[in-house]
Amino acid sequence: MARIRFKNVRHAYPPPKGQEPVYALKEINQVWEDGGAYALLGPSGCGKTTLLNIISGLLTPSEGEILFDGVDVTSQSIAARQIAQVFQFPVVYDTMTVYDNLAFPLRNRKMNESLVKERVEQIADMLDLTTSLKKRAANLTADGKQKISLGRGLVRSDVNAILFDEPLTVIDPHLKWQLRSKLKELHQQIGMTMIYVTHDQVEALTFADKVVVMYDGTVVQVGTPVELFNHPKHTFVGYFIGSPGMNVIPCTVDNGQPVFAKNPLPIAQPVNKDLSGKLEVGVRPEFIDFADEGIPVNIEKVEDLGRYQVLTLKHEQETIKMVLNEDQTIPSENPKIQFNPEQTRVYCDGWVVEEAAHD
Amino acid sequence: MINPKKWLVPTLYILFLMLPIYGLLSMSFKSTNEILGGFSFFPQDFTLDNYKVIFTDPTWYNGYINSIIYVVINTLLSVTVALPAAYAFSRYRFLGDKHLFFWLLTNRMAPPAIFALPFFQLYSAIGFFDTHIAVAIAHCLFNIPLAVWILEGFMSGVPKELDETAYLDGYSFPRFFIRIFIPTIAAGVGVAMFFCFMYSWVELLLAKTLTSVEAKPIAATMTRTASSSGYELGLLAAAGSLTIIPGAVVIYFVRNYIAKGFALGRV
Repeated sequence: MARIRFKNVRHAYPPPKGQEPVYALKEINQVWEDGGAYALLGPSGCGKTTLLNIISGLLTPSEGEILFDGVDVTSQSIAARQIAQVFQFPVVYDTMTVYDNLAFPLRNRKMNESLVKERVEQIADMLDLTTSLKKRAANLTADGKQKISLGRGLVRSDVNAILFDEPLTVIDPHLKWQLRSKLKELHQQIGMTMIYVTHDQVEALTFADKVVVMYDGTVVQVGTPVELFNHPKHTFVGYFIGSPGMNVIPCTVDNGQPVFAKNPLPIAQPVNKDLSGKLEVGVRPEFIDFADEGIPVNIEKVEDLGRYQVLTLKHEQETIKMVLNEDQTIPSENPKIQFNPEQTRVYCDGWVVEEAAHD
Repeated sequence: MINPKKWLVPTLYILFLMLPIYGLLSMSFKSTNEILGGFSFFPQDFTLDNYKVIFTDPTWYNGYINSIIYVVINTLLSVTVALPAAYAFSRYRFLGDKHLFFWLLTNRMAPPAIFALPFFQLYSAIGFFDTHIAVAIAHCLFNIPLAVWILEGFMSGVPKELDETAYLDGYSFPRFFIRIFIPTIAAGVGVAMFFCFMYSWVELLLAKTLTSVEAKPIAATMTRTASSSGYELGLLAAAGSLTIIPGAVVIYFVRNYIAKGFALGRV
């Protein structure tokens, strides 16, 4: 158990000959509290796996330090860090039985065989592997193997953290849901730090207390699922979380108020007047309503998704999505929309512009 | 229902392949006079004398022992050296790795005759001439690259996460390599050993050049007997029949994995 802290961590993979190194991680300062359930969310190639491998010690960062409870472990060996890691694809020791696979991390730590047995049976029970304990691991199906990988990660109770690198990719959807709730349950039972990498927002939002959103080698926002939904700090967070994602449309700022194609947009608090950079306004499809006055739009498409409808609207060249409850009606003539001022934000170069005062 | 026509072509093909082997086998049960007398499909005067000579005359059975000794040394040596090399090629990127890997293959493209003379001179100079180890080392020239290629294919099929998991589970690299990694690619090791065995077993030129009496291989004994005391065709046929056996025995053990080696395009 430990509080894991990243201090100015940067990492670049060795570049091809004669090229400048490209940083897979650009300057990360981040604290993972002891006992937290974190989800690390981001698109493929944003550095999630690199970050995990740095925690577990499979990679040594190019710059910066990693502290476990204030102790610098940057140069410590993998085994000394006491981290369990589960990878995306099943990793089993083919030559051993399921039981031996699960017992392997414990035996390597010279644990008493009777304790090993107890622990392995407990984990096997949790993962429905009890009946196949005697089988050779090589003969299992892909999801069976992945359960072994998960089990091997969970079997030790003395680890500092368990890292999951998209562990449920190869698992059947119904089982996926079940395993995810088991992980969550286990987390509540033993309170171990868990970091769960995924690019599936549903997975992230159901598993974690705190979601860490990464984009292009940096952590763009850390927060609870509700915070991420209601207060996206970066256009990427708004776009990535929620379905459909946040509308991001170009704007100008006039007198502290955003203007979109000559339509002033009311917002709760005026923004700083002199902003330079690419200015955009972001509003979630859930916070757009039809109104008598507002931005005139054309309705391009209506998708009925049962409990709600997704409308694709067009104003000049910009596409805007909006969500309507099933009982709301679509105006038949000259539809006009309005954004909810409380939920409309101005973004400068991707980052949210805080009210008047600077962030 | 099995269509008899489907069996016709493979049967003919197998018969065609087996014909020379049958000829050899049937000759080995004939006396030399009968062989020279005329062709007969079955031995008219069945005899085991040829085999008796081989198993009692040291110049003959020593040939087999010598061959087996250097082939086994070579197989073990090649695979032992190739395992870490193949691991490096499969897991690490280093300067010139691809070129080096391809260069290994080019070693197999030169005919052994090119190396016969320099090897002969070198081994004579350091007193290795006519020893088993000399032949075993000489054969490494072809077999190590081959083993590296075969093993690299099998190793690259194992995800590198296996290595990482073992480290996380508390294994050091040497322990992981020996206790987990080698058992995981056991099939590949088997295939590599088979091919090393086979190439070393059939190679004649280097083996003959580097030995005279003490380590003379069976194949060399066979070529010499044909000319020394007249024709001993029956004896030669018996020796030939026995030479096929070790290869057949070894391939039996790796029969299930050979196809995988071919599928990887590495054999």
